[in-house]
Amino acid sequence: MVFLRLAFQNLNRHRTRSLLALFGIATSVAVLFSILSFNKGFEKGLAKELERTGIHFMVVPSGCPHEVASLVLHGSIIPKYLDLAVMDKITILEGIEFASPILVAQLPNPAQKRVDLVYGIEMAKLLQLKPHWKIQGAVPKDDTEIILGAEMAGHQGLKVGDTVAYPNVNASFRVSGILEKTGSQDDAFIYMPVKAAQAIFKRPSGATAVGVKVKDPALLTTITDGLAEQVPGIQIVTMNQVMSSISTLAASAKVLGLSVAIIAILVSAVGVMNAMLMSVFERTQEIGMMRAIGAPRSDIFRIILVEGMLLTMAGGLAGILVSVAGNDLIGLFVRRIMPYAPAGSMARFDAGIAGASLLFAVLVGVCSGVYPAWKASRIQPIEAIKG
Amino acid sequence: MIELRGVEKIYRRGAEELHALRGIDLDIAKGEFLSIVGPSGSGKSSLLHILGCLDRPTKGTMKFDDLNVEHMSETELDGIRSRKIGFVFQQFYLMPGLSVFDNVTLPKVFSRQKIDVDKIASLIATVGLHNRMKHFPNQLSGGEMQRVAIARALANDPEIVLADEPTGNLDTLNSEKIFDLLRSLHRKGYTIVMVTHNNDLASRADRTVLLKDGLQTAA
Ligand SMILES: Nc1ncnc2c1ncn2[C@@H]1O[C@H](COP(=O)(O)OP(=O)(O)OP(=O)(O)O)[C@@H](O)[C@H]1O
Ligand SMILES: [Mg+2]
Repeated sequence: MVFLRLAFQNLNRHRTRSLLALFGIATSVAVLFSILSFNKGFEKGLAKELERTGIHFMVVPSGCPHEVASLVLHGSIIPKYLDLAVMDKITILEGIEFASPILVAQLPNPAQKRVDLVYGIEMAKLLQLKPHWKIQGAVPKDDTEIILGAEMAGHQGLKVGDTVAYPNVNASFRVSGILEKTGSQDDAFIYMPVKAAQAIFKRPSGATAVGVKVKDPALLTTITDGLAEQVPGIQIVTMNQVMSSISTLAASAKVLGLSVAIIAILVSAVGVMNAMLMSVFERTQEIGMMRAIGAPRSDIFRIILVEGMLLTMAGGLAGILVSVAGNDLIGLFVRRIMPYAPAGSMARFDAGIAGASLLFAVLVGVCSGVYPAWKASRIQPIEAIKG
Repeated sequence: MIELRGVEKIYRRGAEELHALRGIDLDIAKGEFLSIVGPSGSGKSSLLHILGCLDRPTKGTMKFDDLNVEHMSETELDGIRSRKIGFVFQQFYLMPGLSVFDNVTLPKVFSRQKIDVDKIASLIATVGLHNRMKHFPNQLSGGEMQRVAIARALANDPEIVLADEPTGNLDTLNSEKIFDLLRSLHRKGYTIVMVTHNNDLASRADRTVLLKDGLQTAA
């Protein structure tokens, strides 16, 4: 206890220097903690969202798999279209539970001075594709009705029964239902019957993708292989592929981030060691005094080591706090650099990760404190009486 | 209690040898109040290092309570210092982060002894600071700080108190007070050795050792 106070006293004596060293540790621990938390949240969120989509694979025009991944999960726009003639070839295959065309496109809305995102879908299959949705009101009965995502409805103050008009494409729709907030990007769309979407976008038999659910997931490969053989010009993306392609990307981002964190930690560890060496040097006489009044070398070693640990522990705590506080900001950043990011807050506070980061910080403190502590323990008691 | 025979201290700086002490014979009896004086560079501090078991003589022998010290290991010297010797320094060296009470207990902490609160409190009362126990060093005057340092020197019940220019950083009035305190400790039975530049204070000790060029001269 006295040792702890002595260590604290020494840090407190040169507050600016201690704070600078602490700042370095805090920054690098914040980076480390953020990367670990986000990685965990990211993978969790990804698995959860994939589990929520009611389809096993997507048939899309040949193209970039990342775009497909984004499409599957968020309906981003792919400029290529699929001819719905493939639908017939899919449905006649053995073991298909259902297949549903999906047409995603942007629709200018001059009245609101914005561009709406339209998700065309077969309404009869809506609840199979999105089994977790809760809808207020009803699923559209015909091609004049639409469902709005919660955000979409909230933004324009629309209620069930209201009319949304697009004079630019000569269309107007009645809102038959509003999707309850899902916390994902599903909230930002207008869902309309695929026929209506095809009419608006003048693609009478076009679709961005076809979502397929099979009866027995064990036969998935057999079915997709068969399909790929029979229909040229398409690409089949299974949910597992989507998952692993995004995970691979996330993993390499993690490796990159961790290397940055490790370098930052090394630099800050050198900073801590430097600060402590300086303070040991300045306290030569005082340490000599402690030795003179009976402190064994091991006690001096311990006090200085505790000092380093205190410093890095405080730095680690500060770093974790900063990281938690800046959570949303980092989330924004992750969303910008990753082609896909799960909805909601990605970095949930994880006590295990926090503990590990803190432990790591303390370990850095021990490592960078050993040399100064050893130096201090070599100080001779005669230093107390010099001159 | 302490017996020096032919003690020499030679400092080596490269090839150059510096004789700080050139053969000191000195006996200090239990209960003595001794002062050490001498011009700058005469070897006062060097002698105090050896008396305080902070350093070993280069030549000669030293006995502390009939134990030969000159060949003892560092750990053994640590033990002798913490059990038998109390130090008072010119610069006080109080720990700014510890209260007066905790500063006084420090030697007990280092020697892993149980802390008797009443005993520490009575030590602090002995040096006249009973109403300053919870204060921190920066709330004390120089004279008061040196009193705390003296209480700290007494914490482990030493046989001898070694004071290195205890009044060197104090004004005349406070120097007098510190000297009076040392003298009152002497009356209580403590053995006291004080290095000083203050000839007036030195002459009021029982005995004065005058050093010149590392040799003891007649006072
Ligand atoms: N560690 C050392 N290395 C080399 N020379 C030293 C060392 N310590 C002391 N000396 C030399 O030994 C001699 C005696 O020094 P010492 O410190 O004992 O003198 P002093 O009487 O205490 O002087 P002052 O009154 O100035 O404190 C001096 O010439 C000093 O320069
Ligand atoms: Mg001196």
